[in-house]
Amino acid sequence: MTSGLAHYLDVATRFQAERADAPVWLKRLREEALRQFERQGLPTPRDEEWKYTSVAPVEARPFSLPRELVGSADVAAEVARLSSAGPRLVFVDGRLDSSLSVLGGLPRGMTLKPLRDALRDDEAVLAEVLGQRARAEAHPFVALNAALLEDGVFLRLGRGVRGEAPVQVLFLSRAGGEAVLSSPRVVVVAEEGSEATLVETYAGAGASFTNTVTEVTLGDNASLNHVKLQVEGDAALHLGVLHSRLGRDSRFASHAFNLGAALARNEVHAAFAGEGGDCTLNGLFVGQGTQHLDHRTDLDHAVPRCTSRELYKGVLDGRAHGAFHGRVRVRENAQRTDARQTSRNLLLSETAQVDARPQLEIFADDVKCAHGAAVGRLDENALFYLRSRGIDRAQAEQLLTHAFASELVRAVPEGNVRARVEAMLALKLPGAPRLEVTA
Amino acid sequence: MALLSVRNLHARVGDKDILKGIDLEVGPGEVHAIMGPNGSGKSTLAGVLAGREAYTVTQGEVSFDGQDLLSLPAEKRALAGVFLGFQYPVEIPGVGNLHFLRTALNAQRRSRGLEELDAMDFLQLAREKAKLVQLDTAFMNRSVNEGFSGGEKKRNEIFQMAVLQPRLALLDETDSGLDIDALRIVAGGVNALRSKERGMVVITHYQRLLDYIVPDRVHVMAAGRIVRSGGRELALELEEKGYGWLGLEQAKAPKEARS
Ligand SMILES: Nc1ncnc2c1ncn2[C@@H]1O[C@H](COP(=O)(O)OP(=O)(O)O)[C@@H](O)[C@H]1O
Ligand SMILES: [Mg+2]
Repeated sequence: MTSGLAHYLDVATRFQAERADAPVWLKRLREEALRQFERQGLPTPRDEEWKYTSVAPVEARPFSLPRELVGSADVAAEVARLSSAGPRLVFVDGRLDSSLSVLGGLPRGMTLKPLRDALRDDEAVLAEVLGQRARAEAHPFVALNAALLEDGVFLRLGRGVRGEAPVQVLFLSRAGGEAVLSSPRVVVVAEEGSEATLVETYAGAGASFTNTVTEVTLGDNASLNHVKLQVEGDAALHLGVLHSRLGRDSRFASHAFNLGAALARNEVHAAFAGEGGDCTLNGLFVGQGTQHLDHRTDLDHAVPRCTSRELYKGVLDGRAHGAFHGRVRVRENAQRTDARQTSRNLLLSETAQVDARPQLEIFADDVKCAHGAAVGRLDENALFYLRSRGIDRAQAEQLLTHAFASELVRAVPEGNVRARVEAMLALKLPGAPRLEVTA
Repeated sequence: MALLSVRNLHARVGDKDILKGIDLEVGPGEVHAIMGPNGSGKSTLAGVLAGREAYTVTQGEVSFDGQDLLSLPAEKRALAGVFLGFQYPVEIPGVGNLHFLRTALNAQRRSRGLEELDAMDFLQLAREKAKLVQLDTAFMNRSVNEGFSGGEKKRNEIFQMAVLQPRLALLDETDSGLDIDALRIVAGGVNALRSKERGMVVITHYQRLLDYIVPDRVHVMAAGRIVRSGGRELALELEEKGYGWLGLEQAKAPKEARS
């Protein structure tokens, strides 16, 4: 068995050979992506982009591709726990489980289908967006994902369509069996004036490697709330890249929660393509044990008069390592940009670490930009206040830690989704108020 | 037997001596006032008694209800019945006032072998106690002290005291920053909590508060010592003549630092 780059090249080459009868455009896309992957290779800490995060675990063990799904009734309870009413697509060990998916009752004008079907039927729409936001030549793992392109989700919102219930996509990995590399691709096209919430949840106990890419294209005045909840198992590896392109007066909000996995890196890239856009990027990671969690953001203010708000927080305990690198570019013509980036990190142990790197590149002069990065410990004054009322130190620490993290949970706009994120957070950070009656 | 007995207490921050031999006895049912210029060590004394870890006790002892208070961490002192009303109540964003107080009350109830209160029973209790200081229930749903005005913070302190029913209340400048109406409300709350089992130490810079909360004993602190003790009339005398009358050079001690 090969390892490292050779292993992935080998796996992808065989994958493509087995799909020699795919449509020409798709074959080309996969083959070109594989070339781009080979050209870039796996990143090393010498790569500026990967300075704080080593992908050694990705190289260390071999992964196999998803296999045909035979029965997954065992995850039904997990699916119920991780979803609420509304449309959903469920993937188990990288493959669609249609029996657990719900595709009925979509609002008129909304298309939600497995990417596999869209690759067959929707070439015309996909050609404009697939691989256009997240470009294989710019990122080795985007390239690897494209080289293995097959499963995932296609969501299209027609003009003015409003999704009432959130659209939910679940990726579950099961323990036991082979370590699976899954490469989901989520493609969202929101046409003019449409509005929806999309939740991507990654969970399960498997020692999997998930390399996921999401591409969002927002038309003029469209609005998308995107929530990503990553609660994979202790042995999992997770790399995620999201790219979003915002049309004129559109709104995009990303809420990224990275709570699970041994190694997780989540990238969110947003580019303004029309004036008046509004972008919120929120993120939280909570690391314990020896977890390594990395948040990377990139905001491109390419046009005038757009607003961005970015709040990323990290909580690190044990020997966990966190990294935040957020870049905001304000291009020369992007006058009247209003951009704010905040990174706040809480270290709960002497051995936890965090690297926080804000990066502002401002080339326009008539702009409002602010950024701040902080790494700290719990406030002794607040701890003493709680303890002086009889709350012991451990519980006081839990209360304050939870309060720090929950700011991001409270920012999630949809009630059911918010409650689910809260429940997942509570598993990692006790000290959450149980349902509190209000006065 | 005294509820609180402080003997020859010395404490420092870093290498700076602040308390330089405090003796104080507070019996059940008694209200003691501690007055003194800014920087004389009043908040330090309250903080040392409540278990603030920034201070190091270098000499002396404190017994509370027969226990060695100084050997207990802050939370154990609270469970034993000590309550500190903060001069500067801390804002804690993200922690709900009600959740915080119920957590505290239930910790205290557990330590006394009582059943915990559920959210509904607690809410009823909280509503009733909030009336004592005319605290709007809207404040109970907000984060602890977040965005409260100075007066609201002080009322919240007395509200917490009313819920927790401590044996000994140390009220540190509960009057500072209050207008006369708020002062009346807060003092009314404190008076309602006077009882023959409960001791109180009321720290204030001004005698004005003592028109409303009438103390049994008055002590004057200067430069880390109690320099004079007496009855109520001592406060009036201070009001009339100022701290200078005590002839204390120390009375012009350094300006108050936030503590
Ligand atoms: N945490 C601290 N660090 C350094 N100095 C302190 C601290 N707390 C109090 N002090 C100093 O101790 C002295 C007494 O302060 P404090 O007890 O707050 O006085 P009071 O409450 O009577 O105004 C002051 O000189 C003050 O500057
Ligand atoms: Mg003071």
